[in-house]
Amino acid sequence: MSAIIEAENISFNYQNQNILKGLTFNVCAGEFLAIAGPNGAGKTTLLNLLCGLLKADTGKITIDSADINSYSSKSLAHKIAVVRQEFVPVFDFTVSEIVSMARTPYLSASGFESKQDLQAVAEAMEITDTAGFADRPLRNLSGGERQRVFIARAFAQQTPILLLDEPTSFLDFKHQVDIYDLLKNAQCQKNKTIISVTHDINLAIQYCEKTLLLGLNEQYYLDHTNKVLTQYKIQNVFNVKVFDGNIGGEKFFFPLGRFAKAAKNVNGLSRENTADNITS
Amino acid sequence: MAEHLTAKKLFLKVSICLGILLVVMLVCMFIGPKWSTDAQILYQIRLPRIILAAFVGAALACAGVTLQAILRNPLADPYILGISSGAALGVIIATICGISLSFWAGSTVSLFAFCGALLTVWLVWFIGHFASGSSAVTSLLLAGVVINAFFSAIIMFLISIARSHEVRATALWLMGNLKDMDIKILILSGSCILGGILILISIAAKLNVLTLGQAEAKALGVNTGRVRLIAFAVSAFITAVAVGLTGLIGFVGLIVPHGVRLVIGPDHRQLLPVSAFSGAAFLVISDTVARSAFAGSELPVGVITALVGGPFFLILLARYCRKVSWAK
Repeated sequence: MSAIIEAENISFNYQNQNILKGLTFNVCAGEFLAIAGPNGAGKTTLLNLLCGLLKADTGKITIDSADINSYSSKSLAHKIAVVRQEFVPVFDFTVSEIVSMARTPYLSASGFESKQDLQAVAEAMEITDTAGFADRPLRNLSGGERQRVFIARAFAQQTPILLLDEPTSFLDFKHQVDIYDLLKNAQCQKNKTIISVTHDINLAIQYCEKTLLLGLNEQYYLDHTNKVLTQYKIQNVFNVKVFDGNIGGEKFFFPLGRFAKAAKNVNGLSRENTADNITS
Repeated sequence: MAEHLTAKKLFLKVSICLGILLVVMLVCMFIGPKWSTDAQILYQIRLPRIILAAFVGAALACAGVTLQAILRNPLADPYILGISSGAALGVIIATICGISLSFWAGSTVSLFAFCGALLTVWLVWFIGHFASGSSAVTSLLLAGVVINAFFSAIIMFLISIARSHEVRATALWLMGNLKDMDIKILILSGSCILGGILILISIAAKLNVLTLGQAEAKALGVNTGRVRLIAFAVSAFITAVAVGLTGLIGFVGLIVPHGVRLVIGPDHRQLLPVSAFSGAAFLVISDTVARSAFAGSELPVGVITALVGGPFFLILLARYCRKVSWAK
């Protein structure tokens, strides 16, 4: 598979502090990549570099075999859509108005959506199941619904690449899974390349083929998710004790603090036993 | 399926608004201290004044809409940001220095107003960015408020120490005045305002996206730096022209955009043109009230806009809040 995103030796400093240093990785077309790591490791910074909001101090980012700096804002918006954490806009736009904004980079000089634009918007709202509240202002929706609206907007932008910044951070279990199902579906059906910055390692294991694990001391791991997200690496990078279990052949991880109830019971047990304990 | 704005629908809405505005202007032409049908009064005194009010109202309303969009703050308006007082300061300085050159259709007064407005915009922009990097929306507004207060103080100071009759006359003029307009100035300023509004309408779709924030707008392919610069410069320009023409008229830039937004929603492609017409109609009506409410004496139009605008705005807000709570 060909690489659609190539980052070569990129570094980024903020106020004389190294956030990222010497980071090199490729993302292949049609891949679902998770970016995980502790707070302050530079996950969101990396996302902002990849969508062109920030410029790397050194190194080079290539999108679809062209330097990211050679794109205009408009042409980059044809390649990459970004979903950030959901928010309530200052002005009372309706759901369909927000989703329609995805077509801004496609608008002709007249500033009105063409039939094609409207079709893309309608399709995106259908897939994300947001068509039912098309006329409601965003303010009146729940957090999960709003996040689906922003994902609908990203779909309506019809880009090969989709970047997400912690898309599930304030959502309950059902909505978390709904969002990842939606993304997985887009990956399989439309061959989108999806990069999701996430704190939820267990969702990453279930949905993402590859994971980029960013550590605090300029260490990073990128490989197939099951090779990157191991107990050893997670404990190392996050500096916390985690226990792993097994569900449907895939591992899952659970952080346990000193005073956690389970910590007392499983502390003396070996790793395998722990896994059995939890799965049985 | 949701209703989508199309060019055809917008044209229809704009035509209706234009029709309403023309009717308002026509009716207001006949209203005065006395119901008059004297052709000379109608065409040489009232008509230019009504056209002037319409242009200034449209300019202030559109400047308000645009500033609220790029600052993502419903409290923004040319007055609160100090652009108007910057323009007024320019006018006062011109008067004190006794500079009164005039050239075709323009006068140094409007030139100074424009320079004052631009200086203010630059100052607000500079301080706002200096204060907190690129995410300077809040500090931009704060800088505007501070500069507004500062310039107003300078204006007060200059007026208090000045002895000349002319400065005192300017002080009165500052309160908002639509009297005695030369037809040439009217044509020139009118076309400046019209051109400015058209430029703003041409970036309306991008303004929509900008209200979501800079990062969002960039991800949607908008060159945020350029659009914000155009929006800022053009709204400063039309505000300066308006202040240069008529002095300080408050409330139009704040309440008209809000009122219109409550009725037709926040899509700038229709919000801008409809606000222009509404602002025009609002100021035409306010001025008609100002000049005919008390026979013999004329009120400053700024008093009327505030007196009418304040309660009107509160009613809209109350109704809107109730609607929202019902919807839930």
